[in-house]
Amino acid sequence: MAFYLKWLFWGSLATILAGFLYYTLPQTDVVRVVETEVRRVDLGGENTLFWSQPDAGQAVNDTRDVFFIQTELPNGRPMVYRNEDTGWGWPPYFKFDTANLQTQASALRTRDIDDQRWAAIRHYGVRIPYLSIYPNAVTIRAVDGPDVRIIPWIAIICWILVISFIWFVTARWLRFKRRYISPRVDRADAWYDDKTGRFSRWVDTWRSKPRS
Amino acid sequence: MAFVRLLVMLLAVLTVVYFCVSIYSRMARREKLEREFELERLSDPSISPAEKDEFVKRGMVDYDGSLRKRLILLVYVVPLAVIGTIIYTVNHM
Repeated sequence: MAFYLKWLFWGSLATILAGFLYYTLPQTDVVRVVETEVRRVDLGGENTLFWSQPDAGQAVNDTRDVFFIQTELPNGRPMVYRNEDTGWGWPPYFKFDTANLQTQASALRTRDIDDQRWAAIRHYGVRIPYLSIYPNAVTIRAVDGPDVRIIPWIAIICWILVISFIWFVTARWLRFKRRYISPRVDRADAWYDDKTGRFSRWVDTWRSKPRS
Repeated sequence: MAFVRLLVMLLAVLTVVYFCVSIYSRMARREKLEREFELERLSDPSISPAEKDEFVKRGMVDYDGSLRKRLILLVYVVPLAVIGTIIYTVNHM
């Protein structure tokens, strides 16, 4: 039982961490930009967490206009990105050039159905239609075609850093526990056994002694 | 304002990290010196155990002036450099 609970605990923790990293770290999609638009969104609903912030320097309101980049993936499926500043907040992309990015995206827009203009969009986040959650585009650049090979160096490096940090802390903690905590626990254990031994012996003195 | 908030929080966190790393590094160095002393005593039994404190103290004075200790300042330098790099690549490239 304790074994399963332990795995459940660490398993959920690992899943949450992995999901968090998956959401936060950059990914790159190769797409055809179909359209760019501005749409008003109302904040404060269930998906508030998944919107970023207004353009740096502007007031924070419950409603604002957000840039969107509507695209088509190489397999023909639609993908819609929002295009918002992250400013000085989380996640740390320090993106202030939202309006410029929208301009670049518009410049890469396909003019008709056969237009083979391909673009690589680096973004973070996921698309969840059920809660109107959109990934946030970070950079966009023109690429030759849908087969271009893109290696996600930044994500790889961040994963390695996070895993080595966890490994480092766990190793130190286990060593600390082995050296300093376990001996003390053992000693306390022995002390307790000793005391309870004496206590039960003392209780025994109250028992009626067998008459000889 | 958001910038000031980030800066203050970042500096607070980095200061905590800086102190943790320097304490850890001192501790590791001290343990290493103690081990070194025991090894030396193993090869030369004429050294008295009373010299251990003096040996460790001398080693720690050396450590205080070392490049290794100053390298801990990278705790501040690296994140700020990374942030600078991200700002440049995201907004100007």
